[in-house]
Amino acid sequence: MKSIELLGKGEEMYGRAYIKLNVNELEEAIKKLKENGFTHFVMLSCIDWLDKGKFELVYHMWNYEEKEHAMLSIDIDRNNAVMKSMSHLFPQIETYEREIHEMYGIKFDGNTRLTPFLLENWPHAPPMRKDFNSEKFVKQVYESIPFIEEDENEGI
Amino acid sequence: MGIYHGDKMMRYEEWSKLARKASKKSLWMVHFCTGCGAVEMPPVMTSRYDMERFGIVPMATPRQADVLLITGYLTVKTLRRVIRVYEQMQSPKYVIAFGSCAINGGMYWDSYNTIKHLEKYIPVDVYIAGCMPRPEGIINAFIKLMELIDEGKARGWEKYQKYYDKYKENQRRAFNFEIKEEQKEEENEEH
Repeated sequence: MKSIELLGKGEEMYGRAYIKLNVNELEEAIKKLKENGFTHFVMLSCIDWLDKGKFELVYHMWNYEEKEHAMLSIDIDRNNAVMKSMSHLFPQIETYEREIHEMYGIKFDGNTRLTPFLLENWPHAPPMRKDFNSEKFVKQVYESIPFIEEDENEGI
Repeated sequence: MGIYHGDKMMRYEEWSKLARKASKKSLWMVHFCTGCGAVEMPPVMTSRYDMERFGIVPMATPRQADVLLITGYLTVKTLRRVIRVYEQMQSPKYVIAFGSCAINGGMYWDSYNTIKHLEKYIPVDVYIAGCMPRPEGIINAFIKLMELIDEGKARGWEKYQKYYDKYKENQRRAFNFEIKEEQKEEENEEH
């Protein structure tokens, strides 16, 4: 596949190119792919590997001429989740980083728009992390709110 | 209703009965769509099921409407908007809640961001069970609501006025995702 040839590493996975990179190689790799036909930045996704203690960030790119989907994957430390922002390469990355900052608590250096995005007034830990116990949270927040019973003696 | 006494009271009761009979035949609903039930509304409005034969018309602004439809799950963010819409509507006003999500959370029972029981935040007059209810179910719910109005039993809006403080407190707790102190203590005991 073209992206694997360009970057000199990676493997084919379900018809897509999966390329594992180090954090410092990422910026050069995105630039190189962008110059060679991968003009569409599809999305940025994040996976929480709780047992391995790391976050995996996957940068998806698409080449229209070759009809090829390239996935650039990097790992960052889960306890010190900081990553360099890539929003100067593709402006839409800013919004993806904003969402991942909100849902996983990863800080992106250089992104000036890491403000609350989808959640309003959220005071707790980022909800998409694997150690966020959603069931317990529902019990504590929603199930503890009482029903409003009518006082039958008074009527309305 | 306590202003009139004796014969005048009787007359007031009779008049309000008549008013209810008339108003149940012209229910105007707010065109406010949330969740997946919104897609069930077009067939109900248009020629196949044609809800206008019951006098039900979609209305552009909440101030002109009588019925608020909650068409599916509500996130906390949407709940804030729903309450704004509900409070803008003029009394008497009614709420119909669609599907299992509005009843007890449905398939989002363990989601961090959707409310589970709609009834804790605004009063609901008619529930429709199902995921999602078919257009027949929606028409059925409207007919049930008309019966309740006729009998004077659809009084959710009066309940909202009477227990306003309690509703506001519940809404505030949901908006802030508040965990009470005693809940936290229970958590510590478990560990």
